Amino acid sequence: MTKLSDVCLSSCGATVVLATSCDERYPPENILDGKSETFWTTTGIFPQEFIIGFSGPAKINKLTVQSYLVRNLKIEKSISKDPVNFEKCAEKELENSEGQLQTEEFMLPGCQATYLRFIIESSFDQFVSIHRVMADGNMDNISSTA
Amino acid sequence: MVKLTAKCILAGDATVGKSTLAQLFRSDGAHFQKNYAMTVGVDIIMKTVHIPETNDSVELLIYDSSGKEIFYEIMEKLWEQPSILCLVYDVSNEQSFNSCAKWLQRVRARTLCSQLPGVLVGNKTDLVGRRTVEQKQAQEWAAQNELEYFETSAKEMENFEVPFRTLAKSFHRLYQERVEAIQSFV
Ligand SMILES: Nc1nc2c(ncn2[C@@H]2O[C@H](COP(=O)(O)OP(=O)(O)OP(=O)(O)O)[C@@H](O)[C@H]2O)c(=O)[nH]1
Ligand SMILES: [Mg+2]
Repeated sequence: MTKLSDVCLSSCGATVVLATSCDERYPPENILDGKSETFWTTTGIFPQEFIIGFSGPAKINKLTVQSYLVRNLKIEKSISKDPVNFEKCAEKELENSEGQLQTEEFMLPGCQATYLRFIIESSFDQFVSIHRVMADGNMDNISSTA
Repeated sequence: MVKLTAKCILAGDATVGKSTLAQLFRSDGAHFQKNYAMTVGVDIIMKTVHIPETNDSVELLIYDSSGKEIFYEIMEKLWEQPSILCLVYDVSNEQSFNSCAKWLQRVRARTLCSQLPGVLVGNKTDLVGRRTVEQKQAQEWAAQNELEYFETSAKEMENFEVPFRTLAKSFHRLYQERVEAIQSFV
């Protein structure tokens, strides 16, 4: 038995392996620092995306995404060693919430992934922000060296 | 330091000089297209604009669009989620000025954003004797529709950079405002 915890943290070895926007004041690493106050911003045209890589295969039950002004969000997963061969696992139209963060939960029972890809297809404004991604799950400790 | 990317819709009636302005801007004034070559659908022209007094820049993806109705159906799809708008008319062609309301409405219909920075450009000011749209009239209409107004002559290479640079600056300002707004409530 392993207990569930947030595996989407840089302190757990998670990293952003790709992001289509980068303002060095609001880098994509802010998504994985465990804080809602820090964020990553998109810097123009849509779609935009970012890919989170885990330190090994992860089992994920639930994802929670904190964002602002995102309209359509698609999530894909990969179980490959490299960020390729993504399969769609969720898609949602979010509600506009002017002046406060959007908190959206995605139930993904039995989902296994080494990478998660988040595609922001459309937005409620010219720029959106992603504050935090939380993943309730655990790491398969097969290849863990930490 | 940040590099923003803006989808700039360049729209207006046929032959008002949209492609000519875009090509001049792209080539820093080196290329004036004398003979008319109709744009088929949309041409995308890329140009990076540095924002003065910052280390930031805006990459403009200029969607140089045809003024011909037959291409409108295709263009409408390509215009989804625009960032900024450059609306052009010909100061010697009143019909092209009257069409601006239609083009503006069409582009605004493609976005949910509360703000779409835009400019109105009266081109061909070199055709002095043939002018039919007065500056004041155009300026008033632009102000009513929250557009900044500029006059250009692509032929004389006058003012052709200003509309694009202004749009890049507006987009950059919007980004700063949005980021500050987010920081104020997190
Ligand atoms: N006199 C004068 N002619 C111009 C000016 N700008 C463009 N032209 C001419 O106007 C004609 C049409 O220009 P284009 O830039 O192709 O027009 P357009 O708006 O792109 O037209 P479509 O692609 O069909 O929508 C060309 O022959 C240009 O040389 C100008 O400032 N003054
Ligand atoms: Mg053209």
